[in-house]
Amino acid sequence: MRESRLMLVQYVTAVVAILLVAVHLIMQGVLYPYSTAISFGNILSIYRNGFYAVFLETLLVVVLVHGFNGIRIILHEWKQSAPWSRWVDAGTVLAIAVSVGYGTRTVILAVFGGVTA
Amino acid sequence: MSSDGSERRKNKRGIWGWLNPYHYNFERWAYTFQRVTGVAILLYVLGHLGDTSFFVGGPTGTGPSPSGWAFIGSIFENSFGHLILILIVLVLFFHGVNGVRLILAEFGLIFKKPSAIEYPYKPKSLSPVQKSLIWVGIGVAVLAALWAFLVLFEGMG
Repeated sequence: MRESRLMLVQYVTAVVAILLVAVHLIMQGVLYPYSTAISFGNILSIYRNGFYAVFLETLLVVVLVHGFNGIRIILHEWKQSAPWSRWVDAGTVLAIAVSVGYGTRTVILAVFGGVTA
Repeated sequence: MSSDGSERRKNKRGIWGWLNPYHYNFERWAYTFQRVTGVAILLYVLGHLGDTSFFVGGPTGTGPSPSGWAFIGSIFENSFGHLILILIVLVLFFHGVNGVRLILAEFGLIFKKPSAIEYPYKPKSLSPVQKSLIWVGIGVAVLAALWAFLVLFEGMG
């Protein structure tokens, strides 16, 4: 993907992340007292609400793409060469895939998994 | 430059030179803080991915686990953990507001017209709106951190 497109991705994910993180913080610190917000029952009810499960998955993808693309930008600013660029770009894709995969596993298990001990 | 490149190496300050805003202007400090706060937030997000996975029993879990969640809560739900969260809120809000400033600047919305460079060599294209937005970012971050303090330490005393 061209660098100009990747910068556009960075800006679009930044704006979307601001909106999603604002909602996330409101849910954790405004709608309920903090102790209630982080209680097991409350979080389970949030995950099991289809809308919020999609919301959390979207937040996960947007924030990680923005974060790792930001690291990619820093590494490109720091040093420039063709092999370096290839390694950095490949590492960014891998880091996004692994972290989104791990976070998505949590969302899927929280939504569909049976409650254990 | 000398033929063996020693002059080039002498002038190459590496990542610390790139990161160090000392001797530069206010916007350069904002540039450095944007990157430092960005890395800090990403590290927190990765940690948050790890701790929230204990809601489903951790890396080997199979579903929502009250004991896994209680375990991770026993580690992070204390004064030290809350102080870390307050710091994250502080840098998160600065990063967000300063990021909006950078997006507006990228699209040329908050620049003045460039003009000839004159002593004392202040960049004339930087508008007061840009500098104000950096201060707004700092102010919003401090207010958000105070809000986080009130939320997190409510009932702990």
